[in-house]
Amino acid sequence: MKAVEANDLHKTFTSKKESVEAVKGVSFSVEQGEVFSILGPNGAGKSTTILMLTTLLGISKGTASIMGLDVEKQDKEVRTKIGVALQDTGIDLLLTARELLYTTGRLWGLNKKESNLRTEELLQLVGLTESADRRVKTYSGGMKRRLDLGLSLVNEPEVLFLDEPTTGLDPASRRVIWDEIKRLNNNGVTVILTTQYLEEADELSDRLLIIDKGVVATEGTSDELKASVGGDVVTFDFEKEENVEVAKRLIDNAKVNQKQLRITVENGAEHIPIFMKTFTENKLNVKSVSANKPTLDDVFLKVTGFSMENDNQSEKKQSKKSNYEKRGRRIRR
Amino acid sequence: MSDHQAPFFTQLGILTKRLLLRVVRRPLSELPNLIISAFFLFIYDGALGRVFGASAVGTSLDFAQGNFVNFILPVSIVSASLSGSASGFYIIEDIESGVFKRYQGMPISKWSIILAPMVIGAIRVLIQASLILLIGSFIGADPATGFSGYLAVLGFGFLWGLGFAGYSVAASVKSGSSQGAQAASFFFFPALFIAPTFVPREALKGWLSTAAAFNPTTYVIEAIRGILIEGWVFNVILPGLIVGGIFALITLAYAVSSAKKVNEKG
Repeated sequence: MKAVEANDLHKTFTSKKESVEAVKGVSFSVEQGEVFSILGPNGAGKSTTILMLTTLLGISKGTASIMGLDVEKQDKEVRTKIGVALQDTGIDLLLTARELLYTTGRLWGLNKKESNLRTEELLQLVGLTESADRRVKTYSGGMKRRLDLGLSLVNEPEVLFLDEPTTGLDPASRRVIWDEIKRLNNNGVTVILTTQYLEEADELSDRLLIIDKGVVATEGTSDELKASVGGDVVTFDFEKEENVEVAKRLIDNAKVNQKQLRITVENGAEHIPIFMKTFTENKLNVKSVSANKPTLDDVFLKVTGFSMENDNQSEKKQSKKSNYEKRGRRIRR
Repeated sequence: MSDHQAPFFTQLGILTKRLLLRVVRRPLSELPNLIISAFFLFIYDGALGRVFGASAVGTSLDFAQGNFVNFILPVSIVSASLSGSASGFYIIEDIESGVFKRYQGMPISKWSIILAPMVIGAIRVLIQASLILLIGSFIGADPATGFSGYLAVLGFGFLWGLGFAGYSVAASVKSGSSQGAQAASFFFFPALFIAPTFVPREALKGWLSTAAAFNPTTYVIEAIRGILIEGWVFNVILPGLIVGGIFALITLAYAVSSAKKVNEKG
């Protein structure tokens, strides 16, 4: 039995003025015990897909099942199998972590004693025992995320959905959450997560799915996806940044990313002198050159035409409000 | 592990307790609401008590039957009932913070999610109404039905508060924003003042008298006045009870049906 099966999922939001098809036929399956990441730019449809799978949004067309249970027809049973920590799922800031975990346990049908026990277990699991009796409004972003994770585990879910679990966190807090996810997965919990961070997807996932414009762009293991790009990625920096566009016109299949020229070829090191000769003949002075194996960003660039890294750079220039966001590589369009 | 579903009343109790904790932990935001109706009781009595009180006995203005506090007290009670509308803001806070969505992903009855803030709203009304009755008894209220009349008045306050809480919750869920909830609260002014607020219905001008007949508040005010001034006059009390009950049921059903659709807004 698959942990998750999505078949031709569609979601259309209809208002008086317009109709928007956010998801246009997404299909995938997740084996039990896997960590499965869904990547995509903002507005790609990944959160909408998660909302449909977690029974929080109706499915316009298609079918989905969790642990063999139909998401639409057996929604109540599905909820007992899943844990959900969504981007916009809130935590009551006026209550303490202990009160929230206890209350959630009681709402899941635990009696007072069971709920107290589960609260203690989860406080320990997410490392909040010492701050358990402080109001959540005094918590750091990382502590809130850990609490959110704890709340999603109260019912001992078999499948855990995490929507951007580390967005906005500093690297240290992000690492703590990753360790929790790995530990849960080692205990047999299937994890489906969406993320804006490539390194997160690379670090945690058994398999990845990239969604773009509401459809599946590609799917596979991190290594499979990188291999699908083929060969090496040769990257050129030019002394005059504006020359990158001129250089692009000289080389077949070259792409511009972050004012760098990126060319995917077999045996990249062997090709570098040939490219250099072409640029020198055209008076384009190269500042630096490197040849590397493809990264997930190259995969992303190939299948969506957009770069996560590039986008993160432009965001850095636009906004200095979040140091956390500057450190991560985010997807935006 | 449990059977994954708490009984309905356990759910309602837990959710209500959680909201109660929220109320208790920010007392300053609750205090003004608590005293505002009591404040207006003093103002009404101070401004109009001399004209329509004991000095009006034997004149055509003697609709308070010599005790203006008895006459004006229902207005303060109904006005306090409007504070049940705070329920809408509790639920808006939950929608805006995402707590509402968390509950929707759990095996919790929509009715308990909607009823919990309504119960808190009604409890607020009970506390306010008790305070008003206490002050009223100090400044001269003298119910024709004795102490049991006070309890009946509290019951009316609770029922009417529940109705307004339901309306507020429905409007809040429907609009999904605090601005929407605020805009919907405008309805409370006509509800309170297109009614026999300061004089009996017979003394209202033609258009206002006609409009008041279509306002459910009219029947609740008249029922409470009946209890305080005339005694157990069931031909006046019963319409108030029926209107208040129907209003609470309609608004509750409306609130629950709105809650079912809240996520489809995306």
